[in-house]
Amino acid sequence: MNYSIETENLSLWYGDFQALIDVNSKIPDGQITSLIGPSGCGKTTLLRCFNRVNERYGNVTTKGKIEVLGKNIYDADVSLPELRKAVGMVFQRPNPLPISVYENVLFGLRIHSPIRSMTRTESDQIVEEALTSVFLWEDLKDNLKMRATSLQLEQQQKLCIARLLPLKPKIILMDEPCSALDAKGTGAVEELMEILAGTYTFLIVTHNMAQARRVSKECIFMFLGELIEHRETQALFETPEHSKTADYVQMRYG
Amino acid sequence: MNALTTRPELRKKIVLLSITVIIEGVAFIFFWSVLRKTAATHMQASSASRTSDALPNLLSDLNLILPMSLLAILLGIVCAFYLEEWLSSTSWIRRFIESQVAFLTGIPSLLYGLLAVIIFFGYAGVFKATRTTFQHNTALFYTEMLIFILMVIPVAIKATQEALRSVETPIRESTYALGANRWQVLTQQVIPRAFPQMLAGGCRAMSQAFAAAALLTGIHIWSHTTGLRGLPDRFMLFLGGALLLSNASSFLTEIYVPASTQQN
Ligand SMILES: Nc1ncnc2c1ncn2[C@@H]1O[C@H](COP(=O)(O)OP(=O)(O)O)[C@@H](O)[C@H]1O
Ligand SMILES: [Mg+2]
Repeated sequence: MNYSIETENLSLWYGDFQALIDVNSKIPDGQITSLIGPSGCGKTTLLRCFNRVNERYGNVTTKGKIEVLGKNIYDADVSLPELRKAVGMVFQRPNPLPISVYENVLFGLRIHSPIRSMTRTESDQIVEEALTSVFLWEDLKDNLKMRATSLQLEQQQKLCIARLLPLKPKIILMDEPCSALDAKGTGAVEELMEILAGTYTFLIVTHNMAQARRVSKECIFMFLGELIEHRETQALFETPEHSKTADYVQMRYG
Repeated sequence: MNALTTRPELRKKIVLLSITVIIEGVAFIFFWSVLRKTAATHMQASSASRTSDALPNLLSDLNLILPMSLLAILLGIVCAFYLEEWLSSTSWIRRFIESQVAFLTGIPSLLYGLLAVIIFFGYAGVFKATRTTFQHNTALFYTEMLIFILMVIPVAIKATQEALRSVETPIRESTYALGANRWQVLTQQVIPRAFPQMLAGGCRAMSQAFAAAALLTGIHIWSHTTGLRGLPDRFMLFLGGALLLSNASSFLTEIYVPASTQQN
């Protein structure tokens, strides 16, 4: 088994509050791994380590090792733009940019390539491919000029996934991608993840245990900054090894 | 996300703005004519000066006020960018400057007026003995410099910072997460989105500058021994500028609705 992400004794502090405590994890390639745990246990924090967006807060200290695609992401020769190109992120609230659907899909590429390096036909094709992969093409092909923020939330979230694809990422991180969506939207996004899972490695944070059971092959349970248990999803839910995991999956915490 | 208000809303706001400007205009012209009449009577009494001086003076003051205030605003904007985008919120330089800005913008402008009067008369008193225009203007110049630094720059800093903050974290985060560097985030997302508000802030700061200029001209009226030479015109010009710019500023702020009040 190959791993997309590996951490070794990863600890993280916000100021002097320790949010992650010696986390050791291995996220396998090409499948969906979910990250569950009570709110405030550090799921978002852990996720945001992997594309180094945590650093935007001034007061973060990280210790330990994080390897993404076999490379230590704190090595001096790591380029943040390249790392973030390979590791895409989808946020809790759909956050397409307030520009057209078309430009949203191309935005990432435009950042990473010199101005006017794409012809119109090339970019049209890229947009069509990306939107087709997330099943938005049929709905939006006549409305590509529409402002992305005026789409339905479900479409916005799919667009947020679509805009990662032209960058050809290896890993897609998702932080509670369905928590702003209704049941139908959640279903659609889950289905999409399952279809894309062969091509990309997914790591998703969810507070919805049913969702974790539905979509993920492996599941990580975290509690107060520590990784408590990481196993196949079914095993974790049916025969948890730790009492904390058992308490959580039987919903004894909120 | 920031977005323009809907068309009908916008139309309503433009109509409201026009009505406001017309009412202000009428009041303004009325006040101006009264002031001119008063000045004319006074001038006849003193007969030391001619009204033909009015235009050159007026222009030379504008020459001073416009570039000075634009420069001050630019400085404020650069400063705000540095504070907001480069320094972390825990940096003590940022905390120090922000507390100073909060203090300076919190002072009612009347106090600045009083300050200007004190400084100006302080200088004027020193130079009065010689009575040369050069020194008088130098005094005016320094007074204005001080007013700008104390009054316009903090307003510009605060307004720009508010504009930058109005661009919500999700926009920045998603742009960073796609691999953009700070420069790309700023030029491609933050500045275009913050621009109307920055413009509004600029107008507000300029309006302050013009108000300060009107005030100084007012001081001139009282302090100049040589007569009134077009001073009412200048006073009204600056006052008018201040009014218009403040209208523009509130208009620009209002046509944009913050995301929190917008539904999806
Ligand atoms: N920027 C931050 N500064 C300080 N503390 C933070 C910050 N972000 C998160 N925390 C704290 O770190 C802990 C973990 O937060 P988070 O990773 O968001 O948890 P989760 O996503 O599991 O709900 C929480 O106690 C939270 O209060
Ligand atoms: Mg979270």
